[in-house]
Amino acid sequence: MNSQLVMFISQIFNGLKIGSVYSLVALGYTMVYGIIRLINFAHGDFIMVGAYVLMLTAPAIIAMGMPAWVAVIPAILICVAVGVIVEKAAYKPVRERGNSMTALITAIAMSLLLENGAQAVFGADYKTIPTVFSIPSVNFGALHISGDTILTIVLGLVIMVGLQLYVSYTKRGKAMRAVSEDKEASILMGVNINSTITLTFAIGSGLAAVASLMYVAAYPQVSPTMGAMLGLKAFVAAVLGGIGSIPGAMIGGLTIGLIESLTKAYIGTITAGIITSAFSDAIVFGILIVVLLVKPSGIMGKNEGEKV
Amino acid sequence: MNTRFTAKFVTICAATGLAVSLAGCSGGSLSENSGSDSAAQGNTITLGSITTNSGTAAAYGEAEVAGFKLAISEINKAGGINGKKVKLESMDDKGDPTESSNAFNKLSGDDSVLAVLGPTISATTAAVAPLADQSKLVAIAPAATADSIESGNYLFRACFKDSYQGEIAARFAAKTLKVKKVAVLYGTGDPYSSGTAESFMKEAKQLGLDVVDQESSSSADDTEYSSQLQKIQASGAEFLYAPYYYSIAGPYIIPQARSVGFNGVVMGPDGYDGLKLTDNVSLYNKVYYTTHYSPDDKENSKVADFIKSFRSENKSDPNTFSALSYDTVYMAKQAIEKAGKNPTREQVRKALAGSKFDGVTGSFTLDKTGSPKKSVIVLEMKDGKPVFNSTVKPA
Repeated sequence: MNSQLVMFISQIFNGLKIGSVYSLVALGYTMVYGIIRLINFAHGDFIMVGAYVLMLTAPAIIAMGMPAWVAVIPAILICVAVGVIVEKAAYKPVRERGNSMTALITAIAMSLLLENGAQAVFGADYKTIPTVFSIPSVNFGALHISGDTILTIVLGLVIMVGLQLYVSYTKRGKAMRAVSEDKEASILMGVNINSTITLTFAIGSGLAAVASLMYVAAYPQVSPTMGAMLGLKAFVAAVLGGIGSIPGAMIGGLTIGLIESLTKAYIGTITAGIITSAFSDAIVFGILIVVLLVKPSGIMGKNEGEKV
Repeated sequence: MNTRFTAKFVTICAATGLAVSLAGCSGGSLSENSGSDSAAQGNTITLGSITTNSGTAAAYGEAEVAGFKLAISEINKAGGINGKKVKLESMDDKGDPTESSNAFNKLSGDDSVLAVLGPTISATTAAVAPLADQSKLVAIAPAATADSIESGNYLFRACFKDSYQGEIAARFAAKTLKVKKVAVLYGTGDPYSSGTAESFMKEAKQLGLDVVDQESSSSADDTEYSSQLQKIQASGAEFLYAPYYYSIAGPYIIPQARSVGFNGVVMGPDGYDGLKLTDNVSLYNKVYYTTHYSPDDKENSKVADFIKSFRSENKSDPNTFSALSYDTVYMAKQAIEKAGKNPTREQVRKALAGSKFDGVTGSFTLDKTGSPKKSVIVLEMKDGKPVFNSTVKPA
């Protein structure tokens, strides 16, 4: 195979690797936004919580002779608990009394609370995590693709399809869609709004735990602020894909990952060294602005008029 | 709306609030002191310290405070400085320039403070340097290596500077490892990373090395470097100079370099000290870094004593930052003693400038800019542990 081609395909997979993690995180943002129109800024920090649970439980699980990834089970349980507590203790009272701005500020407060809380409990320093998966990499001649990358992409797709089916066909899923369309009408139709919202948060937070597993598999380190930039990029991914849309989150995440990787690899060559790979973040956010100017609802978003 | 913006906004608000309250504090203490004798003439000498005890560089700050405490307790056991007990006034700047400026202002408002130890990282030291000149209070940075922080006035340091580390790394690559093709990867957002990389490239070209690739990341704390590393691998480089911090080079850059098939040498600056390793330690073979201090340095008799007393005090082995900060305290002590019985802050500066010093991190003379010219130690990772490789003497 041509070495330039190998390079290009490798760069695509580099992009898919980080992009699939963004997708998993973006799914969490989109779920919550789709139902209660709240941008849960603490979502990135749920991932941090999940990662710390993995760090704490993985050694014990390895000692019991089980594969390290089983640690995702306690991580899911804790994340769901944290998500539901945050919803019940902070978001729900604020949502009932305030407006969408107060809810947004509460989300930012929760994010800072979780970050600083983790720093108080675990200290500020970075901690490494044992290897979670030992999947051999796949080789096609000169091309190496890491097993983790393939697993993350597959897992992302499975979760996306699963969620889409769940939301479309189950009773609970239909309730979620009903709440997202019209809260008052769904109360009249006998939908329990509070339990539906709690369920949404539980699913979103559980997804955060899965995302943290895939994240630490690729980047084996945890720190209290690890969720901040990750959450921000995933939020951008969710907006780019069309926030509220489940396939949109997936597409948005992969797109951001690919843009990042390809700009890092080729922008220097294309612009003859004027713009370097250091600009990749600027380019990612620049593209977001362009997409939003052209299609404000995002790639997969529905254009809906404001209800009067 | 974006979290980062909001987080920053909150920080700025908090910082402004703090600055206002601090201004109130220092104003108050100044007027109190103006009537009475300066506390420096009392029975204690206060050394202020500003370190980063939380955030990315937290491990550095913690190690520095341990070094300060050890040196000060030794000095006090031996009778203090000029017969006066030494007290440490320790402050955390969280790695934030605003916080470190506030901390410095607070310390300079206290007349009993004769010298400030710190700050920890270059970014915070750069913020403190002009304040040190303004308030005529000496600051000795133990490990801030950026070239740009030099004021040539009230700011000194115990460590060598970045350009010097980059040069040494290039010389080590050319003379000791005898490689021909080298590549660089650095973070443009961080002067430490970009400054070291620049001086490495300059020296490498002078030594006739072929710089085959030059890649950068937008910040020095990215997590994904595979794209850049893939290009470095494709460029045929045998040696990669990647000046990043321990928390980035350890879990991200080195494993990612190995996973794209780069099996050459990876070298870094002293930011690799305390490198965070993943459980596959074989990835870290052929990793070197320049540093200020090595416990295996048998030529320096002070090293063994330092390690012994550090162990008995802290139940752990000292790292570079502890060694440098330990020397920093003794530099301050030497200067205060030389300055006389009840020295002013200006006299301390005069005594420190151009002085010669023997410490655990080597013997050196401070040059005009306040930075020492000293030998550099190269460590090599073997089975996940840094091992003494060689000492590169100043040119």
